[in-house]
Amino acid sequence: MQLAKQVAAAPADAPASLSPTDAPRPAVTHEDMDRARDRERVSQARVRKGPFGNLRLLWLLVGPGILVMLGENDGPSMLSYAATGARYGIGFFLPFIILTFIMALVVQEMTVRLGAVTHRGHAELIYDRFGPFWGRFSMIDLMMGNFLTLITEFIAIRAGLGFFGIPPWAAVLGTLGVLYVALMTHRYWTWERITLAAAMFNLIFVPVALLAHPQWGAIGHALVRWSPLPGGVNKDMVLILLADIGATVTPWMLFFQQSATADKGLTPRDIGFGFADTILGALLASTAAIATVIAAAPLFAHHMSAANFEAGQFAEALEPFIGRWGSALFALGMFEAGMVACITISTSSAYAFGEVSRKPHSLNLPMSQGKAFYGVLFLEAVAASGLVLIPGLPLVSVVLVVNVIAVLAMPPALIFLYMLVNDREIMGDQTSPLWANVLAAMVVVLLVGAGILYGISVVAPNLFALL
Amino acid sequence: MPEIPEPDASHVSDENSAWVMQSLEAGQLSSARAQHYPRRPLKRSEAILFWGLRGYLLFMLGVVIYQVWTTAH
Repeated sequence: MQLAKQVAAAPADAPASLSPTDAPRPAVTHEDMDRARDRERVSQARVRKGPFGNLRLLWLLVGPGILVMLGENDGPSMLSYAATGARYGIGFFLPFIILTFIMALVVQEMTVRLGAVTHRGHAELIYDRFGPFWGRFSMIDLMMGNFLTLITEFIAIRAGLGFFGIPPWAAVLGTLGVLYVALMTHRYWTWERITLAAAMFNLIFVPVALLAHPQWGAIGHALVRWSPLPGGVNKDMVLILLADIGATVTPWMLFFQQSATADKGLTPRDIGFGFADTILGALLASTAAIATVIAAAPLFAHHMSAANFEAGQFAEALEPFIGRWGSALFALGMFEAGMVACITISTSSAYAFGEVSRKPHSLNLPMSQGKAFYGVLFLEAVAASGLVLIPGLPLVSVVLVVNVIAVLAMPPALIFLYMLVNDREIMGDQTSPLWANVLAAMVVVLLVGAGILYGISVVAPNLFALL
Repeated sequence: MPEIPEPDASHVSDENSAWVMQSLEAGQLSSARAQHYPRRPLKRSEAILFWGLRGYLLFMLGVVIYQVWTTAH
């Protein structure tokens, strides 16, 4: 019998000798009721035949995939894409960004599979299967990365709203207010739909790109030929390369999507829809990412240096090319990117904390039962928001460093994921297919290679002159 | 179609409990989380891989700190 079924079937505190007929009925909680209601809707939708039945099912089952992909189009990511467009224009980086989203798709599909089969979060499985020693390492990586990333989200929020003359303290307080309201629903489904609605505003970068009057021929050429790459391979290019990878593939995404998949209640039967959800998210997020590169490309065409631009400065610099409305939408997009990521990233921290401390962890929990879960979620955001109010903090450097660290922390995180999703004892016959394993191995090799390239560019930058 | 019961934060009735047990897989119940998966012994090659990647991460973090330091100066 598959270990997952054995573990699930055993009552929480049943002695080993207890026969199934003597076993007490497991305690059912409010959280279970909420999840059962969601599952009942899915069961009812499955009975309906035809395209509308499938559409209804898709509507009910999408969420974690779109949220994780649009959530990762966060403040530092959009800033990286804008810096890419401003420094390199329309060329090599357009297809490269699409490649990074394909990489993200490969690894995120594995988290859906793990969450749907085991109904457990990522941190919990690492602790259970590999022990607390390796579990602590992965938690340190996650918590450190999440906290640094949250700081950068508030940098984006501050800069985006600063464009409209809103003072930093008001921007920070307003965002914490939105986070609090989203949490107070105490219902995964409601939280998910509110956050999804907010995340859709990431596509605000598409009209901004259109206002920049892009040259469609140049875009087509770049996508097919992966060129031009002005300046070739050098130290700056490697930093942007790593920042763009870090803008799409990061450890918090693994933890968030698996935990959210389990919290939403997906089962092995839903894996196909979970994958469709992730593909949909990747399509939306890559569209917004490419739009941001195109929107900032006029700065490259007019030889304007954007080396140390913050989000608000990008919007101001773009105003002559995309107009007042365009730059206002750009600034609004930066604010939205930071706000949505603030919600999803702090949620991933709270899930992981609850999983390893064995405390209740679900967005279906009422406040009385989920004080630790909601407390961690909110306090982490408050602490990060406080730091961006410190005058003189080198905000742009923090943003770039955070993306680089995310890339460097990915290979160890991916090895845990790879081993878990191929663990027959917990996955049974739902282990990852060969094609996904091969692609995941390629992603690990690419990430390690990019990390080594970055290391060489820092330690021995002159080596690039020989290329 | 069956009616979906409204949850009550303070109390879950026996009737609703039975309905929940029918709607969810056993592993989806919050009480199932008290059960843990047993530890999986690491092979030597896996332990080497884990340590190798840990070393890689620590070394690269050193590189990041070096870059931040040189940029600041």
